[in-house]
Amino acid sequence: MKTLTLTLFMALFIGLAHGQEKYITKQGNISFYSHSPVEDIEAENNQVLSIVDTSDGEIAVSLLIQSFIFEKSLMQEHFNENYMESHKYPKAIFRGKILELGDLTENDKTATIQGELTIRGISKPIETTANIKKMDDSIVLTGSFLVEVKDYKIKIPSIVANNIAKTIKVSFELIHQPYN
Amino acid sequence: MKNKIILVLVAVLIVLGGYIALRMYNKPHVNVAESDPDLVLLSQTLLEDFESDEISANTKYLEQIIQVTGKIQKLGTANGNGTITLNNGDSMGSIICHLSGTENKKMVSLREGQEIMVKGICTGYLMDVILINCVLVN
Repeated sequence: MKTLTLTLFMALFIGLAHGQEKYITKQGNISFYSHSPVEDIEAENNQVLSIVDTSDGEIAVSLLIQSFIFEKSLMQEHFNENYMESHKYPKAIFRGKILELGDLTENDKTATIQGELTIRGISKPIETTANIKKMDDSIVLTGSFLVEVKDYKIKIPSIVANNIAKTIKVSFELIHQPYN
Repeated sequence: MKNKIILVLVAVLIVLGGYIALRMYNKPHVNVAESDPDLVLLSQTLLEDFESDEISANTKYLEQIIQVTGKIQKLGTANGNGTITLNNGDSMGSIICHLSGTENKKMVSLREGQEIMVKGICTGYLMDVILINCVLVN
């Protein structure tokens, strides 16, 4: 029993000692793009929180739905009130792992990211590739992936069905600084 | 004759309707600088409310124009615009204010440790409470 406690303490201590392998950003950029024959819709969020642990490749990203800025305020209103119900579900969260992280250099390398994306309280597995590099002290992660609107049970009224794409392209640029 | 009047009336209605629809479609974003705040409070109170009960704080603060008074812990930039981190106490979290583009030039007059008043729209709480489209008051 004593050994077990000791082992646990050791594990915890090693975990703490490796704290410098954590990188964080509170101002990451995530945007999405919907293309349809009627119109193109774009929105941008510059307050994304993302934490990467380079020791095991764990990554956690969260953002506030209401931080998405649209060109037209009416679209932003509809997005929040009708489609995303951001009062009920204020956040979107991704938790996952960067596979085979290896050594990072100043040159972009492609890495596979696997995890779970939660939007409107619905979690779906997701896999994508991203570019990752180390610039000075920061870990830079860029890429994009596709999200199916129906996966998250987002109801779009038929009157605007032609204005909004069935598949939305989500792009990200996350510049993490060392977490002290 | 009667038909002509009806025709003209219908045409006027269509043009007017189209104009109103276009105005609604192009409705401008909320102008924080010219709006009165929905709530006025200390940055510490806002933070504590989110830290103690995020769900009820969301109901109270989300999408509201909030004016907070607090001490500058850190000044920074994000995507070309200024950011001000407010933190009065020793709490882990803070209030992060993302400034509007028009406010950037005022950043040079700010110092860390200074007490200021900021007005912005609250979008929620991650590790910190986020205010966007912020303007400096005074």
